[in-house]
Amino acid sequence: MSRRSWSVLSVLAVVIMLVTACSPVPATQAPAAAPAAATPVTLTWAFWGSPEEAVSHKAVADAFMKEHPEIKVETWNEPWDNYFTKIQALWASGDPKAVPDIAFLWPTPKYAAEGVLENLDPYIQKSGYDLNDYWGGLLESAKYKGSVYGLPRDNEINVLYFNKDLFDKAGVKYPDENWTWDDLLAAAEKLTVKDASGKVTQYALAMEGGKYSKWVNQNGGAILDDYVNPSKCLLSTPESIAAVKFFSDMMNNGYAMRDADLSQAGGDQAVFLSGQAAMIIQNTSRVSSFNAAKMNYDVAVVPIPAGGKRWNPAGGAAWVMSAKSDNKDAAWTFLSWLQGKDGGEKLYTERGEIFPALQSVANSSVFMTDQPPANKKGIVAEAAASGVGGFGYFPEWDELDSSVIGPAMQKIWAGEADPAQALPELCKLADQFLKDKGFPKQ
Amino acid sequence: MPTTSAAQSTSPPRRNPFRWRPDQQWEAYLFILPSLLGFLVFVFIAVGASLGISFLDWGLTGPRGFVGLANYRELLRDPVFWRVARNTAFYIITIVPLQLALGLTIAVGLNQAIRGTEAFRLIYFLPVVTTIVAGAIVFRLLLARNGPLADAVTGLGQLLGIPLSLPDLLGSTRNSKVSVVLLTLWKNTGFTMVVYLAALQGVPQELIDAAHVDGANAWQRFRNVTVPMISSTTFFLFILQTIGAFQLFAEPFVMTRGGPAQSSEPVVQYIYDNAFRFTRMGKASAIAWFLFIFIFGFTLLQNIMQRRWVYYETE
Repeated sequence: MSRRSWSVLSVLAVVIMLVTACSPVPATQAPAAAPAAATPVTLTWAFWGSPEEAVSHKAVADAFMKEHPEIKVETWNEPWDNYFTKIQALWASGDPKAVPDIAFLWPTPKYAAEGVLENLDPYIQKSGYDLNDYWGGLLESAKYKGSVYGLPRDNEINVLYFNKDLFDKAGVKYPDENWTWDDLLAAAEKLTVKDASGKVTQYALAMEGGKYSKWVNQNGGAILDDYVNPSKCLLSTPESIAAVKFFSDMMNNGYAMRDADLSQAGGDQAVFLSGQAAMIIQNTSRVSSFNAAKMNYDVAVVPIPAGGKRWNPAGGAAWVMSAKSDNKDAAWTFLSWLQGKDGGEKLYTERGEIFPALQSVANSSVFMTDQPPANKKGIVAEAAASGVGGFGYFPEWDELDSSVIGPAMQKIWAGEADPAQALPELCKLADQFLKDKGFPKQ
Repeated sequence: MPTTSAAQSTSPPRRNPFRWRPDQQWEAYLFILPSLLGFLVFVFIAVGASLGISFLDWGLTGPRGFVGLANYRELLRDPVFWRVARNTAFYIITIVPLQLALGLTIAVGLNQAIRGTEAFRLIYFLPVVTTIVAGAIVFRLLLARNGPLADAVTGLGQLLGIPLSLPDLLGSTRNSKVSVVLLTLWKNTGFTMVVYLAALQGVPQELIDAAHVDGANAWQRFRNVTVPMISSTTFFLFILQTIGAFQLFAEPFVMTRGGPAQSSEPVVQYIYDNAFRFTRMGKASAIAWFLFIFIFGFTLLQNIMQRRWVYYETE
């Protein structure tokens, strides 16, 4: 053979090796014997989270498999940043073997609209599952066209955390359920510390700008006229403007950290732990880290304006069932156990990871422990005020919020725009957005 | 490229690269086959598919409907698209000239026969091989309103007895782009410097000596000998950095997430948001093709313009 032919052959050999290495191995094994009667059904369970969080989910899966040996649960997890992209890629592949049967998801309506989720109504009716145990407004976030497509695991209860040491140092009375916005401002003035150059070294309050809907709804304002099928933006009403102004004035006065500064400083957890902020307003997910740091703190309901009402944005990520699942009955067994008061809800609450979506679990000894914070009643009081109004339940909400509402709000938090002017302009754009997307829909 | 004189004499003045010539070493194609397959599947087909997707209304999983040019029409009236397009234009206008000027300045400095130039070359090149995410996080801490840089400026003011303070670089819509430009310059100038350094060393010493003899001073020698001699490098870097600035993504994404109020968000991040946050693959593809047309047009224009100012030694 010539030298040339040898080189051709060797290249071909390399290519063939590469190609075969990539292709699936031919079925050399004999087909498995017919499954024995005792072989459990296998479910794939998807959730996001760090390796530590995955440990907790796996413990929950083990507890379920102990009770239900006929069902085997395999877990699939990815960090939050990649989770949604990867799970959508799995759905797009359309392979029922690859698609997780049960998945943790947010926001449910968007995915329900795409047709990848199973309507849970028939399963709920057949099994008599109790939906009345959920906090008010919470199930709305998991509904699409009136049907339930997911069962929320937790409820986001935003409460006021306060650092007792800093309150004592400033000689300020601890906040209680009678506090109004005026009391908050009076306390904020005493809790804000500035150095000689006027730089704030201790803020009274740190709260993410994105949580502004708390103030708006407390004051009788609203973001939209309808959160499922909106036709109009309501952030330009006097009540909404006054609420946004209350929050932005606190930032402009140096009482509250500006939104951008807060995220540059590592978020409310970091600034509360370091004592840079005397109060934060956040959901209950912070409790475990403050307890681990042995902080001297407690929680209280968030102060309301005089004549206003207590309000909390009902919402929490939900467990959903894939429309492509090949074991839907087993998937429902697992789903209803996860969301049962003796199953997953109890375990997650015991581990201090969630504020439960079920009222019965929150009012039981599982939640009412002697661990800090002492004022668990305050958390339940906020939970009882849960309602719609924090965000939209239609698929286009994410786009409306991040490309129209969010940017205008960020200008206000940066102190570059006056709410009285910026909010009517924002509503004009939001109304145009809704009109372009065909809202209100019939 | 070194070619033998025999090959030069037999090769026709104009060759058609696509004509099949049996005398050619066709086995070469076998050698590039693996990477050619990879290119076809992961780049060529994907790029072609994105053109098709740009005419669809498709949410990655749901039904896909043909909407014609609706995605492109929506872009024209989308205020966010124009906002991010202006941001990207700002990045191109600032980053490209500053990077070339800085890179050339440092390269000229390091081209001198002085001690320690190797160490400086290494230091200036280090950011290029540093992970951009790590760099962006450090910049974020450094430039924060109450960060060390702000403290240093305030402290300097107190020393001098004048009120000095650093403007808010990350939290204000006016300055957030400046922070991104600073990070990008820090990250990429080392690359520009290294390429310029190589070009400077290729400038024939006899030309400079001749200019010296003719009485040209240092600036005149630099301006009229060195700069024209390295103009092909400038052209190469100009095209490369312009395309890089068009495609800017990681720097603002990590440092500011495009905020506040989308004031630092580049076009590529808007593509990402549309594709993976709003799952609007059609609109995302349309923006990507808009961007491609701009880059292509710009590069074409530069290729035509280069005849006026780029000098090639081989001509």
